[in-house]
Amino acid sequence: MSALLSVAGVSVRFGGVAAVDDVSLEVGADQLLGIIGPNGAGKTTLMRAITGLVRPQAGRVRLAGEDITDWSVDRRVRAGLALGQQIVRPLRSQTLAANVALAAGKRHMASPLAALSHRKRDAEMARARELLAFVGIADAAEAFPGEVPLGYLKYLEVARALALQPRLLLLDEPLAGLNQAEASAMADLIATLASGGRSVLLIEHNLREVVRTCPVLYVQDQGRRLAFGDSDEVMADPRVRSAYLGGEAA
Amino acid sequence: MAYEIIIATTMAIAVLFALSLNVITGFCGQISLGHAAFYGIGAYTGALLTKAGLPLIAALAPAALSAGAIGFVVGLASLRVRHDFLAITTMGVSFLFVGVVRKQDVLGGEIGISGIPAAEFGRPGLLALAVGCAVVFALLALHIRRSWMGFAFESIADDEDTARILGIDVPRFKLWAFVIGTAGAGVAGALYAHNVRYIGPDSFGFVESVTVLAMVIVGGIGSVWGVVLAAAVLSVLPLWFQVIDDYKLLMYGALLFLAMRFMPDGVAGQVARWWAASRRGR
Amino acid sequence: MLFAELVVQGVVQGAIYALIALGLTLVYGLLRILHVAHAALFTLGGYVGVLVTNHTGSLTLALGAAMLGVGVLGMVVYRLAYRPLLERPPFVALIASIGLFIAAEEVYRIVFGSFGLSFVSPPLQQQVDIGGGILLSQARIAVVAMAVGFLALLAWLSGHTRTGVAWRATVTDPKMAESCGIDIEKVRYLNFFIGSALAAAAGVMVALLNNLVEPTMGAVPSYKALAIIVLGGLGSVRGTLLAALALGVIESFGTVYAGHLLDRDALAFAFLIAVLMLRPQGLLRGA
Repeated sequence: MSALLSVAGVSVRFGGVAAVDDVSLEVGADQLLGIIGPNGAGKTTLMRAITGLVRPQAGRVRLAGEDITDWSVDRRVRAGLALGQQIVRPLRSQTLAANVALAAGKRHMASPLAALSHRKRDAEMARARELLAFVGIADAAEAFPGEVPLGYLKYLEVARALALQPRLLLLDEPLAGLNQAEASAMADLIATLASGGRSVLLIEHNLREVVRTCPVLYVQDQGRRLAFGDSDEVMADPRVRSAYLGGEAA
Repeated sequence: MAYEIIIATTMAIAVLFALSLNVITGFCGQISLGHAAFYGIGAYTGALLTKAGLPLIAALAPAALSAGAIGFVVGLASLRVRHDFLAITTMGVSFLFVGVVRKQDVLGGEIGISGIPAAEFGRPGLLALAVGCAVVFALLALHIRRSWMGFAFESIADDEDTARILGIDVPRFKLWAFVIGTAGAGVAGALYAHNVRYIGPDSFGFVESVTVLAMVIVGGIGSVWGVVLAAAVLSVLPLWFQVIDDYKLLMYGALLFLAMRFMPDGVAGQVARWWAASRRGR
Repeated sequence: MLFAELVVQGVVQGAIYALIALGLTLVYGLLRILHVAHAALFTLGGYVGVLVTNHTGSLTLALGAAMLGVGVLGMVVYRLAYRPLLERPPFVALIASIGLFIAAEEVYRIVFGSFGLSFVSPPLQQQVDIGGGILLSQARIAVVAMAVGFLALLAWLSGHTRTGVAWRATVTDPKMAESCGIDIEKVRYLNFFIGSALAAAAGVMVALLNNLVEPTMGAVPSYKALAIIVLGGLGSVRGTLLAALALGVIESFGTVYAGHLLDRDALAFAFLIAVLMLRPQGLLRGA
């Protein structure tokens, strides 16, 4: 049985600098994988290569066995990928519920003609309210993004990504900008998401929460894969420790 | 009476023309400073066909097709540029169109095409046709806005990158907006050619592109009824100003400036704000 | 010798474009506004130039008056027209600017008459041989000399004076400059003053070349200067100068060799579109 996501020998270079250097990793079904590494290790670039926001110069990315390396972002999303971004990007002209509903209506967006022939939004709006309730911000469903605090927008990113019914959910620093209590609550929520055929890739700086929630860790340093495996073993690895200490010191 | 019919036809054509740009710029957020080129393509196509003996009613579809086809090509090119770069690229399209037409003898060159046959059903018939086309297009626009296509357009206008992350095929939707909008402009152009019965390259230049964009923005970008209202009023305003002929362009320019300076959301935005304020007041 | 003549003609035209487009790119770099009404200030510069020269007989005085007066007016335009619209989507300021431009042209027509004004005795008309048998009027030489002179002066000021350094920092990165304690508002006024003064200088010189100022004199520069700053990469000063020069030369060759296919304006825009398709960010990326 092939992995849900397979990254094979991917390299991304900006100018002469290799942000991601010959990285390979695999994610199975129902798996929660934490991606960690010191600042500037190229974690976000790796995630952008997986979502299609940057094109790798070498290597292949496969989703459920299908080669998606040359696909556009939106095609990958329609095939089962979803992204929650580090810097929240809500649609400012839409309410929170409409933001989520738009994602929930993904199947209407496969072709403009299909989109033109569908008018009803009730089902998607209902689904949006459910998801907003699920992540705990149902009270702001009718508010606009400009009217709610950052914490809400962080949850909106998650709800919107879930509305896309992804097989693989990528979350880029969902805990950044939250206080400790909020971060813990968010991490608990994320831990429940990797189930029912859905896997989660979590990039996080908050080491404590990642180690607490993620059973498997991938560590990247200076664009290279440093370690990949059970989180206890990975955290016991002296190379990981020194990379982190070195990274923090620098 | 004849004069009033011509004026009313002018208004209906302007409404159709402005609504067609509203799909591209209002709904989908793609600013265009070259929309008059497609109006011109429709006008030349329509005029050449009716001069060749086709009835006007049969010339409308080819006018829409030719404008929409070129609109597709320009849309394809426009996918490479964004925001202000897009505005200037479309402005370039406006000048290219006029530049090409000027040098083509088939299209009458500098002199243009005169003696365009009258509509076979007379002036009142042309008015009815123009109003009919405008109404149909307005209904289409309202449908688009309520459909998932409109939802996709809104998200693209708001933030293209986010729209992509939500699984929307942004380039394809943009192309549809361009084709629908430019085809509508083509029909408006064919009607215009038979309303004035003479066309030349200068009827479709940069000034006309700006004029139609002004209608959309003064009306309230994206609002169907606001744009209808603004197009109807702004298209006949210069005629009303005839009385003060010497100052008519000054008034027009000043009006555009003052409208943006004091009512930047357009008529529709302003009305929405008053409405909200009066409900809060109660 | 046709080749060299066309190059020289192109350079003269390019120098005029550069003087006009520089102000536009400064405004864009700082405010993200496509300032169409800039061309109205260019026209006004021409009028002031002709009127003052005819009254005093001094072209130098006229040039100074045009640059100073129009420069100040540029600041007024910023204060009254653009500053209240900075928080709005960019097309709002664009349409406002177009409205302002149309209205200004009409004001010139009503005030100065629709037939335009000429110099009573046009200065700098003597032909000079600049080598290789190419004859050029003193006025044309003056245009190029002035463009080079002003740009050199600006470059020097921006590197050697406190205000100049702050100005350059702001044009390069407004947010960074603001956090370094530079008064952005002052820089904006300065930008409008310098940009408008340069446009006025260009207006005086164009009036001299054609021995005519008319209300619609700004129509062509209004959009062509926009094309130039886009070509140059929006907000990049070096890119703008490069694009201005390139466009001047391409137009002078194009009208000779491709004039039967496209007119001068369409040629410029065909070039613009071709470049943008290959380099969607312009020749040099905006810094």
